[in-house]
Amino acid sequence: MAEPAAETAFADEALTHLDTLYRGALRLTHDPDAAQDLVQEAYLRALRYQHSYQQGTNMKAWLFAIMRNLFWDRFKGARKEDVSLDDVGDFVLFEKLRDEGARPESDVLDKIAASEVVAAVDKLPPLHREVVLLVDVEGFSYKDAAQALGVPIGTVMSRLHRARQQLQKSLFEYAVESGIVRPGGPTQVSQA
Amino acid sequence: MKCQECADKLDRFVDRELTNTEALEVQLHLEGCPDCMEHYEFQEHLKRLVKHSCDCDVAPVAFREKLRQILS
Repeated sequence: MAEPAAETAFADEALTHLDTLYRGALRLTHDPDAAQDLVQEAYLRALRYQHSYQQGTNMKAWLFAIMRNLFWDRFKGARKEDVSLDDVGDFVLFEKLRDEGARPESDVLDKIAASEVVAAVDKLPPLHREVVLLVDVEGFSYKDAAQALGVPIGTVMSRLHRARQQLQKSLFEYAVESGIVRPGGPTQVSQA
Repeated sequence: MKCQECADKLDRFVDRELTNTEALEVQLHLEGCPDCMEHYEFQEHLKRLVKHSCDCDVAPVAFREKLRQILS
C-alpha cells in the first residue's frame, strides 16, 4: 500500500490527464453520464493498481489504457473483431476534391463546421475512433498510442490510415450534400 | 524521392513519426514539388481540423472536484 502522501501525489498527477480521459470516454460512449462513470471507475482502478505504473513512463497512456479496457469490458460487451472498419478503398479526399474541380482544396475544409467533423469521428467504429482520438486529438506518438491500445505500432498505423480514409469519405459526402462542393460543377468552392 | 514514396510517407511526416533523415528527404521533395506540397498542406489542415473540432470538451468542474474528493 502506498503512503498517503505518495497516494495524493499520484492522484494529483493522474488528475492532470482528466480532460484527455473525459474526452476519450465521451467520444467512446456518446453519453456524458456514461463517460463520467467510465472515467471515475478508471481512476479508482488506477489508484488501486498504482503500484503497476512505472515511474517515468507515460501516465496518460497508462490511464487511457485502463479507461478504454474498462469500456470494452463493461460498456461495450461486443467482441472487438465485430466492430472493425470495412476497407473503404483508397479514398483520398484531396484527390477527390481535385477531381471535382474544387480549388483550392483546403478552402473546403474551412467551410466544414466543427460539429460535422465531430459527427464524422463519432461515426467511426470505436477501434478506429480511439486511434484518431489519441494521435490526432490528443497528440500521442504512435508508440504511446500502441501502449494505450495494447497493440503493435503497425496496427496503430493501419487503423489510423483506414480511419482517416473513412473520415475523409464522410466529410466529402457532407461537403457534397451541403453544397460546399458541387460534383461536376464550377471550379470554385461554393461560398456558402 | 518519387511522388509515390512521398505520398506513402505523408501520414508519418504529418504525425512527426519519421526519422530525421526521412523527414529531411520528404521536406526536400515537398520544396521541389508543388503538387505534393499542396497535398501535405491539405493533410496538415485536416489533422488540425480534427483536433480543434474534438478537443473542446473538458471535464465538468463539479466532476473534477468529485473525483478529487474520491481519490484523496
